[in-house]
Amino acid sequence: MNQLVKDLMVPISEYATVSKGATLYEAVLALEKAQEKYDQTKTQHRAVLVMDKQNKIVGKLSQLNVLRALESGNEGTDHIGEIEKFGFSTKFVANLRERSRLKDISFRKMCIKPAGMKVEKFMKTLSENQYVEENTSLDVAIYQLMAGPYLSLMVVRDQDAVGILRLTDIFLAVVDAMKANKANKAK
Amino acid sequence: MIALEKLYDRIIQRTNINLRELKFDVSPQIEGLIPLRQLTKFYAFYGISPNHPIDFQFRHSNLSGSYFLGKCKVTNSLLYKSDIRGDELKKEGDSFRFGNFIIPINGDESMDIQNSLLVKTLVHNFSHDPETPDIFYIRDTVSLHFANIHGSPSRGCFLEPFSTVDLTTMKDCVIGAYSYVQAGEISRLNIKPGTVWVRVPDNFNFMYQFPSEQLKEYIQFNKGENPKGLFMDFVNARKGDFQRVFETVNKEQTVVVPDSASLDRYAVTKSENHINENVLVSQRAFLQNVWLGKGANAQENSIIINSRLERYNVTAHGAKIIEADLGEKVFVGFNSFLRGQPNEKSNSRLTVGKGSIIMPHTIIDIDEQLKIPDDTLVWGLIRNKKELEQNSVSITEFEKVDSGYSKGDMVFEGNGANFVAAFRDRINHILEANGAFFDGKKNRGHAQKNQNMSFNTIQPYPEGDLEGLYPTIIIQP
Repeated sequence: MNQLVKDLMVPISEYATVSKGATLYEAVLALEKAQEKYDQTKTQHRAVLVMDKQNKIVGKLSQLNVLRALESGNEGTDHIGEIEKFGFSTKFVANLRERSRLKDISFRKMCIKPAGMKVEKFMKTLSENQYVEENTSLDVAIYQLMAGPYLSLMVVRDQDAVGILRLTDIFLAVVDAMKANKANKAK
Repeated sequence: MIALEKLYDRIIQRTNINLRELKFDVSPQIEGLIPLRQLTKFYAFYGISPNHPIDFQFRHSNLSGSYFLGKCKVTNSLLYKSDIRGDELKKEGDSFRFGNFIIPINGDESMDIQNSLLVKTLVHNFSHDPETPDIFYIRDTVSLHFANIHGSPSRGCFLEPFSTVDLTTMKDCVIGAYSYVQAGEISRLNIKPGTVWVRVPDNFNFMYQFPSEQLKEYIQFNKGENPKGLFMDFVNARKGDFQRVFETVNKEQTVVVPDSASLDRYAVTKSENHINENVLVSQRAFLQNVWLGKGANAQENSIIINSRLERYNVTAHGAKIIEADLGEKVFVGFNSFLRGQPNEKSNSRLTVGKGSIIMPHTIIDIDEQLKIPDDTLVWGLIRNKKELEQNSVSITEFEKVDSGYSKGDMVFEGNGANFVAAFRDRINHILEANGAFFDGKKNRGHAQKNQNMSFNTIQPYPEGDLEGLYPTIIIQP
């Protein structure tokens, strides 16, 4: 039988969530807590969902977004991120970043200011292409992931979010399918 | 008026479709900014001279107060007090160099403006797009007060006030107020106000970002509001002088103009002005108590007051120079604002040494005397000696840069000598095109070719459903 998105998705209830207006610190604590509770045999969550007052998902905060916050939350290097889109080489930007870095600031100190900043400043809103119906077949969802490309898709039932379909879970499904094919052939 | 309203909505919709990926909506930005009633008040005019091929084609458009020269087509567009200057378009038989390609031009190039709204915008130069070397197109584009579209084909873009896009093909972009972009080709970029960006891929990349709060003092654009700030106050204070020039049919010229120089009949001159040989003063330029040396030029929308410019100075489109003395061959880039103070008041005139390059979109606004040394590269916001130190470098020193350089809010990657050479070449080309090197026989340019031009005026329907629209008009030799 063909696999569907709902067979592989992680239910929304198992995901870390915070309300719009929460700080970055509250968001990373929520993620840590969700990871502790999550089944250790599965791949850990890497993002926090941001909800509005009506409990609708308005954005997603990934680990990468948190790292970006370290940069833009600290004066001295925040403007450098801006210039990357203007065709400067990676080497040049890295060099500039190194020279602009606040002198004598420890890694721990770098985390002070961003911790108090609001999640909505760093979260990513989801585009229309990042939503998928729960009864969609897996091969269609794979195509949708690749077209982004995205690391995950929001799974919906009648427009309500019910889960997350992650690249990592699909990858494990692919591995399982390959193994099963091999085993069948051996028989 | 019904047709005009429909046309306005259609242009906004088409621009929005192009900008949908940037999630940018043009409607609230310009709501109420251009009262359509205003578009019926002014006549449009075009220049005729034996030196420029003629082919004007105006269809289903409003052209209120706009000026046309050279070959141009305008379709389904609203042009308000804009200058469409086609005197540098490529001609049949020319060739256009792009990278290793030499592209032959098989027919005269023309400007082609469709589904666009241009407000007090200057369109000049020629297409630098190798894919359309014979059409300088502007499509589905909205540009606001004193923007410059210079050699830059555009599709689906929004240009905020006092922005400039130069020698760059742009697609689906938003260019913030007072930003200058010269980057060859750009798409889907939302460039914030006060960005100065000059890039030639694999060669050099220059970027400066104005401090946003300080820039607001000079130019600020909020959606649905007329642009504000010192630049607008400065321009608006001279509006009456221009109105008089445009209302007068036969203007009496009081300034002595040498045979090899040109002072456009739509330029404003006040007090005593001295114009030397090979000088070019374009339409909508403003001179008040100015001395212009041989081959100097004052381009469209430039304002020069109580200043002396030695020979071969370039005052690019929209630049302002007040209470200043500029040495030989100083280049003042697009929309730059250079303001000293009168000597008798505070002994704080501005002096710019010979050979200096004032980058496009530079603001020098001083209360104390400031002398910029010869051969200096200057950029950014400068209000005193300390800021000059932070926002300038000797050209000789900059030519030694071989990989990267940064100073204040400016960053540069690439070869400094190539950057300077590109600017010097460009300045020479401008002087050449403007006729600065005319020797009585050779090197004729705009200063010589634009003399004795005839101007015809055209008018829109005065009332009814078509009020404000110009009838289809085709003018050919």
